[in-house]
Amino acid sequence: MKLGRKISWIIIIIVAFLLPLIIRNNNYFLSVFILCVINVLLTSALRNIASVGQICVGTMAFAGIGAYTSGLLMMKFSFPIWAAMPLAGLAALAVAAVIAYPAVRVTGVYFAMVTLFFAEVTRLVISEWRSLTGGSSGLLNIPTVGTLSFFGSTIDFGHLLPYAYFALTITVICLLFLYRIDHSQLGTTLSSIEQDESVATSIGINVTGFKVSSFCIGCFFTGVAGSLYAHYLRVLNPETFGLFPSIYLLINMVAGGRKKFIGPIIGAIILTLIPQIFSSLKEYQPFIYVAALYLVLYLLPGGIVDLPVIVSSYLSKLRRESLAND
Amino acid sequence: MIETTALTKNFGGLTAVNNLNLKVNSGEIVGLIGPNGAGKTTVFNLLAGFLRPTSGKIIFEGKDISNKPPHLRVKLGIARTFQLVRLFQSFTVQRNMEAASHIYPGIGFWEAVFSTPQYRRKGIQISEEVTKILQLLGLNEQRNEIARNMPHGYQKLLGIALALATHPKLLLLDEPLAGMSPGEVAKASEIISGIRERGTTILLIEHNMAAVMDICDRLVVLNFGVEIARGSPEEVSQNQDVIQAYLGVRGNVA
Repeated sequence: MKLGRKISWIIIIIVAFLLPLIIRNNNYFLSVFILCVINVLLTSALRNIASVGQICVGTMAFAGIGAYTSGLLMMKFSFPIWAAMPLAGLAALAVAAVIAYPAVRVTGVYFAMVTLFFAEVTRLVISEWRSLTGGSSGLLNIPTVGTLSFFGSTIDFGHLLPYAYFALTITVICLLFLYRIDHSQLGTTLSSIEQDESVATSIGINVTGFKVSSFCIGCFFTGVAGSLYAHYLRVLNPETFGLFPSIYLLINMVAGGRKKFIGPIIGAIILTLIPQIFSSLKEYQPFIYVAALYLVLYLLPGGIVDLPVIVSSYLSKLRRESLAND
Repeated sequence: MIETTALTKNFGGLTAVNNLNLKVNSGEIVGLIGPNGAGKTTVFNLLAGFLRPTSGKIIFEGKDISNKPPHLRVKLGIARTFQLVRLFQSFTVQRNMEAASHIYPGIGFWEAVFSTPQYRRKGIQISEEVTKILQLLGLNEQRNEIARNMPHGYQKLLGIALALATHPKLLLLDEPLAGMSPGEVAKASEIISGIRERGTTILLIEHNMAAVMDICDRLVVLNFGVEIARGSPEEVSQNQDVIQAYLGVRGNVA
């Protein structure tokens, strides 16, 4: 990794870890922070699935599987969080593996349709399986992550500030993983599949295999994010994992810019903040959201990450023109 | 090295390849020629595994590979190029080659994710190999160019470079010289001979007859999916059936 890039990532992580301390007295800010962190993980996991060119419309269903798995394991079998959270990811991964083999055989819009139907089926199963999930009235009283004894003092992750750090730590670890996938030989292989499947096959890449694995890996992290969601909200409702939240994630990813790793992170943060900033507008809120989105896609087709590039090229154009006028 | 027995491919009612018995020996350059629509590219697709034969067998180094998927045939040592330029267009030359060098022997998912010393050593080794291949094809100067922005001749060569990065024993070149200027053709012919000298067997489809006569040891001529002639370039160029297939019935040629 280039030194400059390494330094900027370290600065981003330090800022992210300082932020909860700065806003520690404001519970509203803290909960928005946690929401941002979870959405960043969800959107980055979605980018991993999209890196081979598949558009998954049902990611929140996998987050739902993770959330309910984690919640139920802790409620019914009193699993500790360090076991429940990876198992939540693995549950999402297992379900993904089952639907992946038939799903990756179709491409483009058909893959999107398969994941869309799957998301609806999952939502219906969650809301109808009342004995297990509590149905549409929700799964209530999910335990918190628990406490941690630390040099004699006890940290209770049921409070917002410790939970913000917990969610941030998990997300940073997961993002490191996804970053390494993206920036190693694996990332090159995945994006070569997106560019031309025939050429990828001709140089010996197992296209189906890589599509399945990128889908499964993405779903694993989606499941982990679902688990973070479950122990933060402590109440789960099938509607949280329906179609619209999934589509919002896709919008986060596209608006942020899919080509760069940082893109979905920026997209998730900005688009999570917009509804909060304009919450006073109540039912007119989606208008602001759509207007912002439209502006981004119109002015920055490559996503928000393109902003510095476009601004700098605009500035150099201005400079050239002013030189020409002299 | 590779041998087909009674290889046949039907597309609905159309027989694209009919009862073909093709044999390529180790170290040869064999030309597969014939008029447009003769079924040459279908033969390539069958050999590389992009299509499954309707009947017949493909034997590679003594093993029946008729039902192996294409990516496993690459691992066995069969690589192909495409007739139209097909590359990872928005990658640089370097990244195209890295994509093609994805088979890191002994390196798994976890090594790559944790960037182990073993993985990094392998990466250095791969980039040395990439440099060698690019030098062979005269593309080393273009390393950092985006594939899409290069002239057509260079893109064609990069297509061959991608195939070479998989360390093929048998290289299938589909019209490697198409669309090249005479100067580029001379250079590319030299490169193809150079590849053979490195120990790679070559089967190629080409319409540039002067070049075909020049580089190929043997020719196989197809017409309407059927083999109509085989032999040395001289023999084939004298063959009446071949002249007819290319030029039509004799009376029409003034």
